[in-house]
Parts: sequence; C-alpha cells; structure tokens
Amino acid sequence: MTAAAEAPVRPAPARATRLTPPLSFLRLLRIELRRSAMPWLLPLIAALFWFDSYRPSTGQTPLYVLRTFWNMGQGHTIIDFGPFVAGVAAWMGSRDGRRRTADLVTATARPRWTAQLATWAGTAIWAVAAYLVFTSVMFAIYASQGVKGQPPWWWVAVGATAVAAFSAAGFAVGVFWPSRFAAPLAAFGGFLALIMSSQTGFHDSTGWALILPTNSNGNFQPDSGLLYPWLPDLPIARIMLLAGIAIAALGLIGLRARGDGPWLRRLTVAVTAAGVAAAGTAVGLATTARLSADGIVIPALHDAASDRPFSYTPRCGQAAGIPVCLSPSYGRWLPEVTAALGPVFSEVAGLPGAPVRATQVGTIYNSGEGGGGQAMTIGGRPPVLSLPLGTLGLPGAVGTATVFADQLRLLAVHAFVGAGTDAGTPAQQAVQAALLQGAGVPFAAQPRVLSTTGLPSGAQAAGNGPPGPATGPVYAAALRLAARPPAARHAWLAAHLTALRSGQLTLAQLP
Amino acid sequence: MTAADTREPLPGAGPALPAEHRAVAALRLPWLYLVSRRAPVALGLLAGLAVLLWSALHWHWGIAGGRAAQQFISLTIETAAAAVIAVTTYGPFGEPERATGRWLPCLRLGTAAALTAIGYGALAAGAAGGALPGGTLALLRNLAGITGIGLLTAAALGGALGWTGPLAYLLVTEVALTGNPTTPWVWPARPPHDLGGALCAALLFAAGTAAITLLGARDSGRHSAPE
Repeated sequence: MTAAAEAPVRPAPARATRLTPPLSFLRLLRIELRRSAMPWLLPLIAALFWFDSYRPSTGQTPLYVLRTFWNMGQGHTIIDFGPFVAGVAAWMGSRDGRRRTADLVTATARPRWTAQLATWAGTAIWAVAAYLVFTSVMFAIYASQGVKGQPPWWWVAVGATAVAAFSAAGFAVGVFWPSRFAAPLAAFGGFLALIMSSQTGFHDSTGWALILPTNSNGNFQPDSGLLYPWLPDLPIARIMLLAGIAIAALGLIGLRARGDGPWLRRLTVAVTAAGVAAAGTAVGLATTARLSADGIVIPALHDAASDRPFSYTPRCGQAAGIPVCLSPSYGRWLPEVTAALGPVFSEVAGLPGAPVRATQVGTIYNSGEGGGGQAMTIGGRPPVLSLPLGTLGLPGAVGTATVFADQLRLLAVHAFVGAGTDAGTPAQQAVQAALLQGAGVPFAAQPRVLSTTGLPSGAQAAGNGPPGPATGPVYAAALRLAARPPAARHAWLAAHLTALRSGQLTLAQLP
Repeated sequence: MTAADTREPLPGAGPALPAEHRAVAALRLPWLYLVSRRAPVALGLLAGLAVLLWSALHWHWGIAGGRAAQQFISLTIETAAAAVIAVTTYGPFGEPERATGRWLPCLRLGTAAALTAIGYGALAAGAAGGALPGGTLALLRNLAGITGIGLLTAAALGGALGWTGPLAYLLVTEVALTGNPTTPWVWPARPPHDLGGALCAALLFAAGTAAITLLGARDSGRHSAPE
C-alpha cells in the first residue's frame, strides 16, 4: 500500500455539490444569451419598427386608440418582429445539426431538451425584451406628444407572446431541418402566415378568425381606453393561442431529442398536448365571441367589471347658449365642437325636441359600416343630444376643421329630423337640407359633405346621392322651405315636426 | 540540370489524362463548390416556390385592398426566392478556402448568376398558373433587384443572414405601397416598363453580384454573426 492510497479521500468542493440543476440551467442560459444571433438583427428591426409601426401612426389623431390601431390593432409590430425572430430562432435551432455536433452534445450530462430550451430561451429573451423596449419607447414618445387615453397594454402582451411563439416555432423548424435554409424558410413562412392572417381578418368579423393575431375586426373600439376600458377578452384568447403554439413547438422538440430518459419523454408529450389543448381552447373560445358596445366579449372570459365606463369630470363649453360637454381626452376639440353646433342649435331653438344639452357618448364600432361612424341621437326629457365623436375625422392630424364641423352639423340635424340610422324619408331629407343651409352648410356643398368618410352609411345616403349636384325633388322642396321667412319656417316646423319624425309627411306636404 | 528539365514528367509519374477525364476534372471544382453552397437544396426550394406561386395564382390567393395588395403574395414568393439565392453564398470553409481558391470569384459570380437565372425561369413557369401582376418582366425586375439586396446583405452581414435584407425590403415595400410611392427604389409599385424602377433594380443586382464576387459573403474568413 502506498502513501497515496492511505491518504483520506478529499471531499468534493462544496460548490460543486450544491450546483442545482436550475443554477446550471441559468449558467447555460447566460452562455446562450451571449452567443445568440438575435442582437445582430436588433438594429435592423429597430429601423423597420420605426418605419413600419411608428412613422405611419404619427399621421393619426393624438389618441392612443387611433395611434395604435395601425401598429397594434392590425398587428404591424408583430409583422416587424415575428418573421425575423422566427428566422434567427431557426438558425439557432439548427446549430447542432449544421455543425454535426448533435451526437456530441447528446452525451453530455444535461438532457438534450434542457440544453435546447436554453438555446431557445436565449433567443426568445432577446426578442421579447427588444419588443417590450421598442414598444415602451414608442409609447413614451406618444406621451411626450400629448397623446390622450390609456395605452393598449393587453395588446402589448399579445405582441410579446406572439414574438415568443414565433421564436418557438422557428426554433422547431431549425431543429427538425438543420439546414442553412431553415432560417429563410421560417422567416418567409411566418411572414406569409401573417399576411394571410390579415387577409382572413379583413374578411371575417366573427367566429374563429377573430383569434388571428393580425385580425383587426372589432378588437379596437373607437373609444377604447378613452371612455371605457380596453376589454381583455380577445387579447386573453389570443395569448392562449400563441402561448399554446409556443408550448407545443417546444414540446415537439423534446419528442425528437435523443438520449433523454423515459420520464423526460413523458413530460414532453404532456407539454405538447398541453400546448395543443391551450391553442384549441383559444380557437373554441373565439367562436363564442360577440361584439358589444365596448369591444369583443367572450362570455367564458368576460368580467362584467370591464364594462364600466370611465368616470371623469367633463369639459364643457357653450354652443348658442346650450352646454356641450366632452370627455377630457377630447377636450382639445371642444372649441371646434361648440363652434360647429352653435348654428344648428340656433336654427332649431324653441322647436319641439330641440336639445337643451349635448353630451359625448362612446362610439361603437360596426363592422358593417367599414370605417364608418355612428349616428347622433336625441333623447330624454329634457332632450339631450348624444355626441359620438370617435370615428369622425377630428381636426388636426387627419381631418380638417371645416369637414369636421360640417359632419357634426349634418349628424345633429339628421338626429333632429328623426331620420334615425338610415337616410330618412324624402321629406326628412328635404327638411334636413333646409336646416343645414340655415346652419351654414350651403346646398351646393351638401353632396360633398354627405360623401365624406367617417359618417354612418345612413347619413351618407341622403338626398340625390353624393357627390352629385344638389338637384332633384328633395333639394327643390328644401329650397322652397329655406326660401320662406325664418319666422314662417319656424312656425311650420313647430307644427309639423311630430309628423315629420314619424315619417308621415311627404314632399308634397312641405310648404 | 537546366530549367527545361523541370518541364519533363517526374520519374514514376503517370501518363497524361485523356481529354474526357480532363473535362470531368475541370467540372469537379464547380461541382464541389455548388455542393458546399447547398445549391441542389436551393434548386429544390426554388422549384417549391415556383409551385407555390402557381398555386397562389391558380387559386387566386390575394389580400383585400388595392392594386398593391393584390401583388403582395407573388412579391413575397419572389422575395423568398431571392433570399434562398442569397443564403447559398454562405460558405463553411472560411479562410482556407479564400487562401487557396484561385477560381473562387468566378465560382461565386457563376453560382449567383446561374441561380438567379434558374430562379427566374422557375418562377416564370410558376406564373403560368394565372395572371401574375406585372407579368414576367416585372418578375425579372423584382427578382433581380431583391437578389441584389440579398447578395449585398450577405457581403455585409454574412451569408447565413443574407435573407434579412430581402425580408426587410419586403416590409418596407409593404408600407410604401400603401402610400402610392413615387421613388423608383420601391420598384414593385412601378409599372413593368418603368425605366427608373428597372435601373434601380439592375443597379442593385450589379452591386450585389460585384460585392459577392470580389468580397464573398462576410462569413468566409471574416468576422460574422454567431453561428
């Protein structure tokens, strides 16, 4: 026996014995974060994000719901990130296969699936963090520009989950096809899927298609985050779908991993099944969705507390002595609104049903209207004019003050004559034209006003049809009415408004 | 011993190769180069994209919207073909190949030009499935120009990332098309016979092939993104 054999066995370093699997995973993750190709593409993605997501939004009215409809509602932030992330993840996923080191790393102590998850996580963390940073910077710029309303945080969460899902799907492509072409295949496949999703989204406003990440039907209500909260129902369903896709893709990778034990194989099967179940459940939930006044409601996910409108102290002004009150978010347009409604209120002052107050109400998106707006209504005792402003071309970034004023006058008069949600009877159209003339919208300009975008289709289809000349029997009757002395016109209206609103009056009965 | 003596075959050397063997030997280098660049797989992918284009045109896949939206699927497929060509520039050998490959510039140029020509032929055949927006002339312009972008990207970032340039251009085009652009650099928005768009596309293709011929992809012996 030698001296060496007699020496006591030196205990293993305490640090090594305490090296728990999570810690070793974190160390592996740190290496993967340093070796990821994702940071190389972030400058390019940042430039595209500015060009594609931020720059077009600056042309919109400074309200969060309008600024973010292009980049969040239509999913352009996802389009800017997703394909690139999928491509890079495929490149990272194909690494061992391309280098023919798969057998080598399979023999290491760490299960193959765990090591692959670390590689994927390295890419996904870079991508999701970059998405959140870019979006936060965009919102910070919006805030510095005085954009009003509540940012769509739920849709930010959808975008971040979509980026993670693209990274997982791309990584799976790289693992299953370890080729240099895996990256472009994943990237362009992802891009094609997104634009086809947009295509389906433009067509389908109900059913399963609502789950598609770039479907913009009904997900952004005109006054979401302004007069009422963003409804989380549809975002939650989309997060379920995208997270399910990510989990299923990562589970599939584990199914393919060689050398992992039966316990791990069972786990990967369970993970894959859970991902598929989550995605399937999300699609099933989307089929139960319906459009409410505040947005898309999914009964199984809906919280009634989300329906409560925001409470606020309105900003009020006077239009011909009648108070007009708007949400503080729309406060900057109060002077334009009062200036527009003043002539209308003067024209109808003292007549039965003339409003004594005007109050802003939330606008409801109607997919049948396309981008069209919502009619004003007059109701209650004393009568109050309800003003939905959300879809009109607010002066500033998009609309002009003149068009905005003309639209407000048209919608107010349209409500006053009782035309409702359609064009109204010929007599109602004629009285509407005469009152508009009195409120400062000349006959010659009315066909143009009736054809402006943002109006509900009912208000647009009046008279002889836009944008033709102001001629025909309706305008002839309107000319006759407008030509009468104001006192006589006022008296005739006071006597006939009830019959006019009920639709019993004909053109021939007009003076 | 004179210098002339050195021209004699060394003792024990075999007889000179016959002409047909010399031809086979001459083709061996291009073939090995093509295999190292995975050109056969690229050809398969180009054929697959041609089938996809045929399907898209035959079954009228489209995106709701104006003229720009109508051509977007075909433009995506053309861009994917350009990306595949750009990714073939990735070389696994790096510095040793650069140091010893006398014919390397010619092989790079020949491969890029041949794959572009084959890609155009395949997509033109796929366009027989229906009415391709702009016709085959616009297809040639789009494919050449975006391939040039891909080759320039490969020279700048590495062959493995050669697909990023075409994809970025596609995204820029998507936004630009919605706004009726006037610049010829967004050539997919221009008519097929537009000279400005054709010149821009040709210029980029020439710049891309020149860069890839003279410099090669960035990963060929120079520092590049993680692999």
